[in-house]
Amino acid sequence: MDAAAEQKYNLGIVRWFTVMAVVYLVVGTLVGTYVASELAWPFLNFDIPYLTFGRLRPLHTNAVIFAFGGCALMATSFYSVQRTCGVRLWSDKLAWFVFIGWNLIIVSAVITLPLGINQAKEYAELEWPIDLAIAVVWLVYMFNFIMTLATRKSSHIYVSNWFFLGMMVMITYLHVVNSLAIPVDLFKSYSLFSGVQDAMIQWWWGHNAVGFYLTAGFLGIMYYFVPKQAGRPVYSYRLSVIHFWALMFGYVWLGAHHLQYTALPDWTGSLGAAVSIAMIIPSWGGAVNGMMTLSGAWDKLRTDYVLRFLIMSLAFYAMSTFEGPIMSIKTVNALSHYTDWTVGHVHSGALGWVAMVAIGAIYHMMTRTFHTEMWSTKLINAHFWTATIGTVVYVVAMWVSGIMQGLMWRAYDEYGTLAYTFAESVEAMHPYYAMRAIGGMIFVTGALLMLINVLMTVRKAASEGSVRAASTAAVSA
Amino acid sequence: MNSLAEYFHTDWEAMTTNDWVGLVMTVVTFLLMVGLYFYALRPKNRDKLEKNRFIPMDEDRIDSGEKNGG
Repeated sequence: MDAAAEQKYNLGIVRWFTVMAVVYLVVGTLVGTYVASELAWPFLNFDIPYLTFGRLRPLHTNAVIFAFGGCALMATSFYSVQRTCGVRLWSDKLAWFVFIGWNLIIVSAVITLPLGINQAKEYAELEWPIDLAIAVVWLVYMFNFIMTLATRKSSHIYVSNWFFLGMMVMITYLHVVNSLAIPVDLFKSYSLFSGVQDAMIQWWWGHNAVGFYLTAGFLGIMYYFVPKQAGRPVYSYRLSVIHFWALMFGYVWLGAHHLQYTALPDWTGSLGAAVSIAMIIPSWGGAVNGMMTLSGAWDKLRTDYVLRFLIMSLAFYAMSTFEGPIMSIKTVNALSHYTDWTVGHVHSGALGWVAMVAIGAIYHMMTRTFHTEMWSTKLINAHFWTATIGTVVYVVAMWVSGIMQGLMWRAYDEYGTLAYTFAESVEAMHPYYAMRAIGGMIFVTGALLMLINVLMTVRKAASEGSVRAASTAAVSA
Repeated sequence: MNSLAEYFHTDWEAMTTNDWVGLVMTVVTFLLMVGLYFYALRPKNRDKLEKNRFIPMDEDRIDSGEKNGG
């Protein structure tokens, strides 16, 4: 029991964000598995418009990215900034405003997206009033974080906070520009951009949401929680400095690689691909930095299930940050673009990297903020294997399906006509769509085990009175 | 003219304001990155940077002012 931390820091807000992140992990992956099943077995639409793929898919992406990812980022950033700066959050009230505001935004997404209220911008589907709310809540979140840094007791700002702050600054800028729109009524607006400029802005946002939200933010998690869980300092601080700045300078150039072979000028796609390749260096530097933190203590992986999540996430981070640049090269992109390979790549990053590093951090915070051990260590182990196997099954299915799609679409017969119709390629995908849905189901099973474990731990902490004891225990000065 | 010179040939007269802004930003970013690599990897700066590795390990003592000259 860490009574000093309980009394000094605002761990209440961390507890709430942590538990809600797990709830949203289950909801988001459940919806994802359902829409994946719809692609394999279309009758699951039941001819109900609210359940169609087009309406539920954005609900899935918003739930996993902004609901699960957002709550995980807010929990971990609020937790680690307090601990590395030696001060309480600058404002408890603003922190609770962020918690309530963010969750209301999530509720509004759950209502509007199945109703078809949608801006038709990928990963930015929510209509303009919700976009405004996101901007306000996000700015308050950033302001509170910056003010906490400003009042810190340490002279140096630890690198995890740099990554969190980089994410906050860049996402503000990206979200505001990408969401510029002309409202025509409360539930409808049109983007300020059109044609190829709209496409460019869309993917400038789209890839940087990956780069700054799903990468920089979660690297902030990695740089604090891997050393803490391993009980060893990060392998190289100098490498982390290079990792941070190279990521900040480099990522903003990449978006155009999503638009190879389109109306966008050819050189922009080449630039996007060239910088993507260059980004392998800092990305792998970061992955190696995280993994080598365990140098000389690899045996910990045998017994520490939470550490397994964190290290496995780095393996997936290294893999997907190599795969992405390769896919951005025009020759490879000619095969991979518009196929399921892209979906496989995204999920190797989303399930393998983002979810696993967040899950590891959540388990770490659960014991330290509820001041008790997890209800079941065996369930954490079972979760690790279901998450890993589910991810691998999903990604392999999409790799095979995607490459097959690409090859079928470009195949010609001896007369120079297409060898396959589009419908034939869809039919050929069925076994892999079923396999993908099964992979998703395995992953969701793990998420459900985690939710049970987390809720039982909360119940255990309540029955033991551990939080109350920590907040009232006498602490030496 | 050899093929390499042809490849790198630029019609400077045709450069628009946007082109110049983009070019300057690219070159400045490149130079800043070179400066960063030099700063971070310079042996003289090793101890100064690496001592910060221990912040998450020593966080309970940060508020005492013992660490990082706080």
